[in-house]
Amino acid sequence: MGAYIVRRLLQAVPTVFGVALLTFLLFNAFGPDPVRTALGNHATPEAMANLRHQWGLDQSLPLQFLDFLRQIATFDYGKSFVTGDDLGTQLKAGALVSLSVTMPPFVFGGIVNVAIALFITRHRDGVVDKAARALFIAAMSVSALVYVLALQYLLAFKLDWFPINGYEGGWAAVKYLGLPWLIQLLLLMGPDIRLYRTLFLADINADWVRTARSKGAGEGRVLFRHVLPNAWIPIITQNVTTIPFLILGSFLMERFFSIPGIGNLTIDALSRGDLPILKAVTVLGAMALVAFNLLNDLLYALADPRVRLS
Amino acid sequence: MEIVQPKAARASRALARVTLACALAAHGVRAAEPSVLTVPRLAQFETLDPQRGFGQTEDQVLRQVYSTLLTYAYLERPYKLEPDLLEAMPTLAPDKVTYTFRLRQHVRFVDCPCFPGGKGRELTSDDVLYSLKRYADGNVNAKSWFAMQGAVAGLDDYHAATLKAGPAADLTATDVAGLRKVDDHTFTIRLTHENPLFLHVLAMAPTAIVPREAVRFYQDRFQVNPVGTGPFRATQALDRKATMRLVRNPDYYRTYPAVGAPGDAEAGLLKDAGKRLPLVDVLEMPLIEEAQPAALMFLRGGLDWRPMDRAWFTKMVVRGPGGTFRLRDEYAGRFSVYGVPGLETEYLLLNLRDPVLGGNQLLRQALAAAVDPQAMLDVLFNGRGHRLQSLVPFDLPGNERETGDVARAHDVAAARRLLAQAGFPGGKGLAPLTISFFETNAATHDEFDLLKSQFAAIGVQVKGRFMDQPTFTKAAENGNFQLASYGWEADYPDPEDFYQLLYSRNVPPGNNWTGFANAAYDKAYEASRFMANGPGRLAQLRTMNALIQDEVPMVVLYDPLKFGITQGWVGNFKHSLLVQEPMFLSVDMARKRRGVQ
Repeated sequence: MGAYIVRRLLQAVPTVFGVALLTFLLFNAFGPDPVRTALGNHATPEAMANLRHQWGLDQSLPLQFLDFLRQIATFDYGKSFVTGDDLGTQLKAGALVSLSVTMPPFVFGGIVNVAIALFITRHRDGVVDKAARALFIAAMSVSALVYVLALQYLLAFKLDWFPINGYEGGWAAVKYLGLPWLIQLLLLMGPDIRLYRTLFLADINADWVRTARSKGAGEGRVLFRHVLPNAWIPIITQNVTTIPFLILGSFLMERFFSIPGIGNLTIDALSRGDLPILKAVTVLGAMALVAFNLLNDLLYALADPRVRLS
Repeated sequence: MEIVQPKAARASRALARVTLACALAAHGVRAAEPSVLTVPRLAQFETLDPQRGFGQTEDQVLRQVYSTLLTYAYLERPYKLEPDLLEAMPTLAPDKVTYTFRLRQHVRFVDCPCFPGGKGRELTSDDVLYSLKRYADGNVNAKSWFAMQGAVAGLDDYHAATLKAGPAADLTATDVAGLRKVDDHTFTIRLTHENPLFLHVLAMAPTAIVPREAVRFYQDRFQVNPVGTGPFRATQALDRKATMRLVRNPDYYRTYPAVGAPGDAEAGLLKDAGKRLPLVDVLEMPLIEEAQPAALMFLRGGLDWRPMDRAWFTKMVVRGPGGTFRLRDEYAGRFSVYGVPGLETEYLLLNLRDPVLGGNQLLRQALAAAVDPQAMLDVLFNGRGHRLQSLVPFDLPGNERETGDVARAHDVAAARRLLAQAGFPGGKGLAPLTISFFETNAATHDEFDLLKSQFAAIGVQVKGRFMDQPTFTKAAENGNFQLASYGWEADYPDPEDFYQLLYSRNVPPGNNWTGFANAAYDKAYEASRFMANGPGRLAQLRTMNALIQDEVPMVVLYDPLKFGITQGWVGNFKHSLLVQEPMFLSVDMARKRRGVQ
């Protein structure tokens, strides 16, 4: 397994290089001029030239790219163009906040959604199944923004169950995160439960399941002992590859509830042309994706004894 | 660990508190409960270093903690300069270029560990000269230097020297010919030429006075550790993303104004005249970037004021007879709504360097006559704004009420006639024109659709080109556009700031993006630029407006009204586009407590 991990990590190097190159080229070819964005319309040409020099943007593109590669290799992305704040500190703080917003509903939702999917599968083609399908399809066809606006209005403003907006660090954050968690749980339910139900149904009449039934196993045992274990690999795939996006945060939640996570940081950086943040978030996101794909493959071996890592 | 007290002891202490509160109230002593004003920040500030920042977001916070030499009167209109850190308005020497400034006595910087013993010290002329030099430092101030560029003797050389020396060098000890200390409370500024507009720069937040010790002490962190002489002070480093809590600066020196505009006294805006500012103990500024949470927080009583966006305006406000606006009945008793003319002019630019538009004045006139600014206001802004007759917004000197200017009327028949005379009868032979926009949102697309229909009415086809602001600016500066929707917000309250948009010497990187170069216009602009307001200046403004109507390098559209809403427990509110209101506002805390749900 050690050799496999080393090989996969080495394979990741050209992937990250490709992402870095693409990111660099896209921002330089199509992105707005960060100097112009930062200084506005009133800046003198000397001021623009001076800032371009301070930010190293007057160097040749190959030199700038080499510097970008150095940042990636050392995980030192320097400072924000706009605020001058250290990016390492900003990203770490933002990632923790984003995880506090997205991870609890992800974990709790994962467990609850598998349970609900099993329950629906148990009652497949019955009233419960049909009603759930109709409900989830309807729920999935509504934009996430509508959920945010409607539930913020109803649960926070009208019913006063949650604060409308705000954030505090530490345990005090829980008070403000209740509603974002609830909204994310609801948003995850439709797609997750429908996916899990499909996975379970794919195996519900498999040979080994029919054998189990013929041996007298009850429907509950069939589902938990013979159907669920076979669905683990796609469930793991779906969940583990989602984790990098959890770190990158939920822009909508962070924006509407004034939560200072990575999502908000990225959108602010976009509007202000803060290239170091945008480059760092893009490349770190790609690296996280590569890392969690590797974790995914390692978990396959644990979930399914037939999988051999070589 | 909680310490449980005997019931009797708790009752006794409660009684003592009530007695003390009654006694304090009876003697007019401020109650223990602080008065708190809560206003939202709508975007994150980039920096609270006055010399580095330049924008509305920064201005909203900087004005609470720093002071400038001059400011604008809170109540009087049109906007008028008045002393802030100065004892009186500066005096101008007979040479017409040397101003003498006299600072107020006993103005102190707030306490800060950067000072010996942590105690704030008195502000002196040295601080002013240091701050102005820091403002001119090209490594510190890249955003607002334009406002003082070329104005003060020797300062441009200083600016160049700082750029040459680099960011690590501190040249503030260098002598600048135009900046002279007379004594600790007196200094002079010598200009390069007669320029009454210069005083406006001294009311801009980037020229706020900072202490050298704080800049040195905090270095990079100075941008979140303000140390000023403003009405409020920070008790800890300020977080861009968190709710900002500022407390009253007990040493603040200004008092509530005794003079207002007509009607202010009747509106109760002078009842606190002469009281020490600020009128509240605590100013809270949460960051709320989206409209819905801000609106819901306001309705709950969690915010004392908020500007009103289009969607919530429609929900809460109705248009009454005579075009007035009022709150719907369900809100009328609880809140107050205001609408004031902005200090901005929206317009369509026509690129005179474009081969189709540049050489065809009749075509430009036809396009101008086809545009219906009032319809744009009605459709795009629910009628919230003034159709402008001249380039100058409503609340500035030199506006249309003073000049009597009348813009080209919307006239489809005349537009068709002009189009035919231009060689394109019914639009035949004219390739579709492109209108550039600096935003890509739905409102911008609505604007394009409306313009498209107005031009289609005379047979002119148009295409939309939607860009982000930097891309748009680059395209406009390079002359890479035909028509462009844009606007200008006053940097300072003077018509010169608007007429410079078409001055031929202001070609890019200046602000004249149209390529308009007209000797008569330039002559009128140069004559009016530094002239005192009066009939002579108004005549020059009229000349320039007439030339704009005739040559059509731009079509002036409208000045949108700025709307906002305040809680009923907030006193003294009069929306100003140049003064931050919080220090003047009072809060009836008893009513606020009852009102907060």
